[in-house]
Amino acid sequence: MSIFNGFASLLQGDYLHAFLGGMALTLELFVISAVLAFLLACVLMAIRLVPGRATDVLVSAYVEYHRNVPSLVQLFVWYFGVPQLLPASTQNLINDNGGEVIFAIIALTLNAAAYVSEDLRSGFRSLPSGQTEASRALGLGYVQTLRKVLIPQAIWASAPSLVNQTLGLFKTTALAMAIGTAELMYITRQIEGETYMTFQTFAVASLFYLLGSWAIMLCGSLLQQRNQSRMAR
Amino acid sequence: MLDILHDYGPLLLIGQYPQGPLGGLALTIILALVSLIASFPIAICIGLARTSSIAPLRNAALAYTYVVRAIPLLLLIFWTYFVIPLVTGYNISGTVTMVVALVVYEGAYLGEVVRAGINAVPKGQVEAARAMGMSYSQCMRKVVLPQALFNMLPSILNQFIMITKNTSLAYLIGTQEVTFAAYQINNQLLTQPFQVYALLAGFYFVLCFSLSRLANWLERSIERKRAGVASHRTNSEAEQPVLLGQAK
Amino acid sequence: MKRALFALCGLMASGVVLADGLQDIKDRGALRCATLTDSVPLGYQDPATREIVGLDVDLCKALAQQLGVKVELQGVAVSARIPTLISGRADVVAAALGYTKARAEQIEFSSAYYQVPIKVLVKGDSNIKTFDDFTDKRISAIKSSTPELYARQQITQAKVVGFEDAPSAFLALQQGKVQGMAMTEPAAIRFHVRSENMHFLDQALHYEPNCIGIKKGELALTAAVDKALADMEASGELQALWDKWYGEGSEFKLAREKKLTPLTDFQ
Repeated sequence: MSIFNGFASLLQGDYLHAFLGGMALTLELFVISAVLAFLLACVLMAIRLVPGRATDVLVSAYVEYHRNVPSLVQLFVWYFGVPQLLPASTQNLINDNGGEVIFAIIALTLNAAAYVSEDLRSGFRSLPSGQTEASRALGLGYVQTLRKVLIPQAIWASAPSLVNQTLGLFKTTALAMAIGTAELMYITRQIEGETYMTFQTFAVASLFYLLGSWAIMLCGSLLQQRNQSRMAR
Repeated sequence: MLDILHDYGPLLLIGQYPQGPLGGLALTIILALVSLIASFPIAICIGLARTSSIAPLRNAALAYTYVVRAIPLLLLIFWTYFVIPLVTGYNISGTVTMVVALVVYEGAYLGEVVRAGINAVPKGQVEAARAMGMSYSQCMRKVVLPQALFNMLPSILNQFIMITKNTSLAYLIGTQEVTFAAYQINNQLLTQPFQVYALLAGFYFVLCFSLSRLANWLERSIERKRAGVASHRTNSEAEQPVLLGQAK
Repeated sequence: MKRALFALCGLMASGVVLADGLQDIKDRGALRCATLTDSVPLGYQDPATREIVGLDVDLCKALAQQLGVKVELQGVAVSARIPTLISGRADVVAAALGYTKARAEQIEFSSAYYQVPIKVLVKGDSNIKTFDDFTDKRISAIKSSTPELYARQQITQAKVVGFEDAPSAFLALQQGKVQGMAMTEPAAIRFHVRSENMHFLDQALHYEPNCIGIKKGELALTAAVDKALADMEASGELQALWDKWYGEGSEFKLAREKKLTPLTDFQ
């Protein structure tokens, strides 16, 4: 069948090489953004915990911007808009080092961090207040209480939502194609434009995303089982 | 930025109308509304199927949900736009493509919301209804779904916000909603991308932020109403449809 | 009576199966013509009236008039031109479509109504003079366009970055993300004219005939379009169209280098 012939020609030589390159960049964008987003979310949480109205408003503004503006528009603002404001030397520095990937990571990280920080916040709020009192009664300081008792539990409590965000981030990397980042969607469209094998190229890309997403969902479900057995103790 | 708004306001708000099809923010809102309304029947079917006792139905709905939620919306849009005409011979415009893709996508996500809503209705209600002699469909129609849908209103509104944001992807298939309008403006001005895209971000922010405030208010009023009913609370502010976390 | 009806149905059905696009257009009374919507002055949005205007738009209207039907204008992205024809979403595409042998396997082409050089635009202060200077540099182009293809084939020492549309490709050049932009001269000339200090490299990547695209197999329609174009050339209408958008009166002042050329000259 001609469809299967198409697959055979796509999965060899230059095309295979191109597809693998795209997949590799997708994974790179995903992993780097995920790690940075989590760290940034923890920082945001820490800022929020500082007493005072100003910090709350600041973090809320950040979160609301990133939750109410589409990811595509955020990417455009970073890639096309922000360079207009930067001095030429910074622009050159970024451009010489793969500007598309850098801006994509920045936009994806900031976007995901907003959601993750909200999830951590809910996780925090769901903790019984007795935990804080008990750990202070045991003699742990403020920071120690946070580090050893509250934050780990908050993370476990918000685990299902965090898995959801991870999944969302994995899929959002596809939008980076609009700013010229050569990840999988970009490569797929390029190969489709050259070979006109629309169905086959999209099928290859879909397979990659399906497998990746299901892997993330599987990890999430395993984590969930471990969590439940932990809570049962 | 104000002068951009002044010069290109009509373009951003209504696109080419009347010298062409309706576009801009008006089209964004219409796309989102139509997609939400059209995906409702599918979402309810999926939700019912996921909670039904008929295994093939449950598994089919599960498979649908797991496949649709595993691929990016962008890929789904491209499938709809490029492959469906080849397969069915029907040609659909960018606007219709967007609605179809969003309906398929939201069918899965809203289906999760419906499922959560159905599960959140106390089992005692179902038992009482069946004890009174109601059939499955009567029980669903008169007892469970009304309560479930009412409780899910904040989540539904959150999904509507997501749909509104997702309409920005229509730009990539040439549909003339507000992101496309901003891109046309950029095409004319060429040297003020920051102002143009900041303005675009502003439009979406105002639209979606208002909707999310509405969702918050709705959630609080529903919480107050439900205060007397014994059921586990769902924190819909941070809730995204959870894949596997729902204990069945 | 029944047999006659069956025969008539059969005849009509066979007509449909033969997929005569030209007949469909006549029956519908409208020609569905797709143009670009972001390329000045081929097909773009007039900021004052918010209408789509341009050389290709006027060409569509003239074609429809020649065929005796109305025109239904559609916008199409550069990367969607061929799929739009293959799926039958539009009857004809007039959108800076360059002839290549690979494309000719997917769609039909009309005669070439203009021929253009594909050039590379660089910034004024750039020290790039020839293609060899692009070693380890980057060039932007529109995805799925012929400039992207030729740049990739010929300037192998550079990295070609594809963008969704012309303004994005140009912005990338302006913001220094790339050091050159590969585009056909008529499509890129407005960037040269309207911005400060951008200029074309003298070397051309390719000299390309631009034709109207039609769905594969629609030979009757292709013949009708060719005839319409020939009539327009003979009456001077094609030249007038070019002069209106690119000629001395416009800001671009680009000469139309060749007249209507049949496709056989390129195959």
